Amino acid sequence: MRVTRLLLLVVGAAATAYGCWLLLPQLGTALPWLIGGPVLHDVLVAPLVGLVGLALGRLVTNRLRLAWIAAGLAASATLLLIAVPLLWRPPSAPPNPGLPDRDYPLGLAVGLAVLWAAIVVVLVVATTLDRRTDRQ
Amino acid sequence: MIRRPRVPVPEDFTAPSHSPLVTARLGLWLAVAFGLCFGTGLLSHYIQHPPGWFTWPTRPVNLYRITQGVHVLSGVAAVPLLLAKLWSVYPRLFVRPPVRQPIRLSAHALERISVLVLVCAAFFELVTGLFNVAQSYPWGFFFPTAHYAVAWLVVGALLLHVAVKLPVARAALSTPLRRSGAAPAATPGPDDRDSSERRAFLRTSAGVAGIAVLATAGVTVPWLRRVSPLAWRSASGPQGVPINRTAAAAHISVPPDWRLEIVWAGGRNSLSLADLAALPQRTAELPIACVEGWSASAHWTGVPVVQLLRWAGAPTGRPVRVTSLETDGLYAASTLPAAHSRDPLTLLALRINGEELSPDHGYPCRLIAPSRPGVLQTKWVARLEVLR
Repeated sequence: MRVTRLLLLVVGAAATAYGCWLLLPQLGTALPWLIGGPVLHDVLVAPLVGLVGLALGRLVTNRLRLAWIAAGLAASATLLLIAVPLLWRPPSAPPNPGLPDRDYPLGLAVGLAVLWAAIVVVLVVATTLDRRTDRQ
Repeated sequence: MIRRPRVPVPEDFTAPSHSPLVTARLGLWLAVAFGLCFGTGLLSHYIQHPPGWFTWPTRPVNLYRITQGVHVLSGVAAVPLLLAKLWSVYPRLFVRPPVRQPIRLSAHALERISVLVLVCAAFFELVTGLFNVAQSYPWGFFFPTAHYAVAWLVVGALLLHVAVKLPVARAALSTPLRRSGAAPAATPGPDDRDSSERRAFLRTSAGVAGIAVLATAGVTVPWLRRVSPLAWRSASGPQGVPINRTAAAAHISVPPDWRLEIVWAGGRNSLSLADLAALPQRTAELPIACVEGWSASAHWTGVPVVQLLRWAGAPTGRPVRVTSLETDGLYAASTLPAAHSRDPLTLLALRINGEELSPDHGYPCRLIAPSRPGVLQTKWVARLEVLR
């Protein structure tokens, strides 16, 4: 274990140094994009997730329902994040005849609708089954 | 009760998702996703900038399509996994540094710096990658070199992170998530609930990663084309194949007296389009597999490069430099490695799906070779030069 850790440490340090050296010529322009991720996440995204989680925990008391709604929110947020470059094209983006290649907002809306419809179906089925077992 | 707002401490976060049992498993999954991403990315880099020792096979013809598809889809899967992992360790952000113990303080600082580098680099790779597949570049750096450099930062910082966390991670991974028989059902308590919530958090993370992949995989998996709402490319386009660079964007005007030049050490030859069309033609189904991960197959008809070189009297089995009519593009020329130039499926195509190539597809002729990135499938070819 000690040897493995030492080896990882040396190889890791070497790879990091190599990456820094490769990045050096573009460091100035890349720096805001490097720092931006963790700052946005730690200051904005994570506290927001925490607050939404707290609020949801108060509003929804059924554990199964809570788990599925949380999963639906996580999936929706992920799809929205992945869709950002498709929905928002800054003017600096070069024109491309192939893009936008289709109606992304419509596709995203349909995708989210299908996702939430599936969650509603799961919850209705689960609740019905619960009631039946309760009656028996 | 009024509490004064204060900076939280790790103990304030009591949710089961912050357990090391969850963190270690998410870390393992994320390491697999990043590992696949790095490996396939490195391959793509070497195919485009081959070092002397590197060779890339021409079979299966879909090989690059698969490796680059894995590259972009493992990156997409890493988005929810990274967010879940960061949520799991978010309380650690508020660990107070051991200010009074210099040695522990410096170890603490070094660990924090390595984690900061890792998180910066990981976000950078995912964000720039996602913008690149949408061909949008809202920044000042050159994407390919920056994405490549930061990939080394991710891998280096990841290895450092594993070196630091190995004992904790190993202990966590060898602890089963589900309470085993040692704690029988006779002691139901908060532990049982925690254990089930930990599993639910992991299931959700894996499920969301699956949904993200499903929502984008249509760029390269044909039967998912109609399912994936966020696939950045459909298979549609002029003559059935999408286009990245049009003839207008490349400022191409084909001269009326266009001839294909073939040059080698000690000789040269040239052909008109009619000469090319009169040579024996071959039709092959080959994919255009772009570095952006999208791919689409087409039936290409043209003259195999190896036959063409033989007909011209040029040596075969050597690398061939293929130059376009395009003068200022980054990809105005490419070099066919020897393995590709001698492959009978490497065509100088004149037709696509039974039609003459349109200007945007590379009229009068274009290169199409098996298992190569789309950017190296040079269009509007003007000249072949046998190297060495």
